Amino acid sequence: MTSPLEARSLSLNREGNAVLNGVSFAVAEGEVFALLGGNGAGKSSTLLAFLGFLEPSGGEILVNGKSVADDIAAARSAIAYLPEAAALYGHMTAYENLNYFLDLAGKSVKKADYDDALNRVALPREARSRRLQSYSKGMRQKTAIALALLRETPILLLDEPTSGLDPVAIDEFHDLVKDLAGAGQTILMVTHDVYGACQVADRVGLLRRGQLVGSFAAENGERIDTETVHAAFAERETT
Amino acid sequence: MVDTGLRCRIFCSAEGAGLMVRDMLRESRFLVKDRGALFWLLLAFILSIISVAFGIAEVRDQQRTIAELVQEDRADRANALEGQEDWGGAAYYAFHLTYAPPSEFAFAALGQRDSSPWKHRVRMLALEGQIHEADTRNADFGLVGRFDFAFLAASVAPLLLILLLYDLRAAERTARRHDLLLATAGSSKSLWLPRALIRVMALFFLLLIPLWVASAVEGASLGVMIQASVVLLGTLLIWWLIIELISRIDASSSVLLTALVGLWLALAIVIPALSKAAIETRQPLPKGGEILLLQRETVNDAWDMPKEATMSAFLEEHPEWNAHATIEQPFEWKWYYAFQQLGDMKAEPLVAQYRSARLARDHEAGVFAFLSPTSFVERSFEKLAGTDAASMIAYEESVRDFHAQLRAFHYPKLFKDEPFDRDLLEGLPAYDP
Repeated sequence: MTSPLEARSLSLNREGNAVLNGVSFAVAEGEVFALLGGNGAGKSSTLLAFLGFLEPSGGEILVNGKSVADDIAAARSAIAYLPEAAALYGHMTAYENLNYFLDLAGKSVKKADYDDALNRVALPREARSRRLQSYSKGMRQKTAIALALLRETPILLLDEPTSGLDPVAIDEFHDLVKDLAGAGQTILMVTHDVYGACQVADRVGLLRRGQLVGSFAAENGERIDTETVHAAFAERETT
Repeated sequence: MVDTGLRCRIFCSAEGAGLMVRDMLRESRFLVKDRGALFWLLLAFILSIISVAFGIAEVRDQQRTIAELVQEDRADRANALEGQEDWGGAAYYAFHLTYAPPSEFAFAALGQRDSSPWKHRVRMLALEGQIHEADTRNADFGLVGRFDFAFLAASVAPLLLILLLYDLRAAERTARRHDLLLATAGSSKSLWLPRALIRVMALFFLLLIPLWVASAVEGASLGVMIQASVVLLGTLLIWWLIIELISRIDASSSVLLTALVGLWLALAIVIPALSKAAIETRQPLPKGGEILLLQRETVNDAWDMPKEATMSAFLEEHPEWNAHATIEQPFEWKWYYAFQQLGDMKAEPLVAQYRSARLARDHEAGVFAFLSPTSFVERSFEKLAGTDAASMIAYEESVRDFHAQLRAFHYPKLFKDEPFDRDLLEGLPAYDP
């Protein structure tokens, strides 16, 4: 069966430096795969490669079984992307931002659905008609998450998605991710938050200096053991 | 049966047009919320209104001046002719107004009307001095330029376009929104093209609306209005292409702005200035004062020359008066007007050189204008408005033609010693612009 997301011996260069070196993984439909790594490990670059912003220097990258290089537009239309710092437009309200970006994606959504999505991310109702420049970082992130929900794409790429969220909002976000995966969405998230990754992911891949150096999977309905992953992460980061 | 490929092409192109309309609507809604862009667009609209208002005010002033001069011209001439008793005196004292009225589109580009005279009062004396002694009314504007629509379209509109477009990509990169936008849009074409196009079109129409309203008020022809619109659209598209190429460079907004303003300076100021200097070096132009001096010296010298020498030189040009060219008195009008014409004839090579050098300069300026969109647009507007160098030279030629008619009217009366008949003055040539 074709995996929605697959990297085959993927190597990437950015400005002459190797950021990924022969990384291979696949994410199954309805699976949450978390790529864990420190700064500069190549996590964000991996997401950008799936979106066609970075061309592989080696190997291949596939979305729904098709090479991204062959049809970037098809790959992007299947993916909702949540960047690390959710940079929506500060001079527009949450509704206006959602409206603009959904228009941009060519997606027609009813106004009522905006509120459903914003309710799911718990963005206060009174804030929704305010400009984003008055929002906290967490509120902006919630708006961006709502956008990703409304896109209703089969694949979700999340770059440090809980950055800026308070602990309650992080827990709510983790529940949301699980719900989405349960509904069949394929989710690849990159993070350096070991606890968060273990809470939400079905599998965790450990990325270090451009190489996938470890993999941990949830078994028997249990979550991935945070202690084990943290020990491996700490060991790898210090060696 | 419709070919499947053709059907696909029709369907695909219709679908593509539909998507473009959708993208344009989205970006127009986005533009309405962009206060920075709205400020520049509003400024463009206000500047366009100001430029056409200045132009119309100047044209109205010129029209009023001409109307007053036409009235005064008739009265002055009637007054001057009142006490005359011979044809020579009538020709000497009667001034005739010549003028180039501004065209219906002159308000948009006052062009050479600021640096070349567009009205004269001539009489039957040597003409070239009368043409070249005329002061231009707005010589200072000839130096610094005037804020008319041509200047706005040629020089200011590109700057406004730069300010509207230079950081479309760079600002999104700085805000770390670039990748999200492209990932959401799917392709850069469906994002940047409509975003830039809606700004270009908004600027185009906001500049154009005051021009069209003013053109309609002034009675400019639809053809001229359409041509002017095409010129404006052309310059905006060329500058859009330039901005698009530069702004693709992965650099900060400030670097892009500096590069684009530098390029604007080069194309709008440096290249025109260098080309002007090069043209002036390549095509030296005799000064109008030299023509005036040569003609006056010739006329003054004639007083001391033997009359036969003057008349024989004159008869080479006008052999038809051979039988009537004997000068018996110390002063005769026909001798007087003969040496006036000799003054023109003496200055003729310099006048021809002056004229051909101006035309050559104009031609070369037209060639150099292909290096500078600014010069090209200004020249195009001046041509449409009839305020270009060729139009002003044509006006000077019309003054010469009119002066030739004056001579043709008076010479038979002067050389045949016809008795002065005031009624025949009704047949004096009238200048028809």
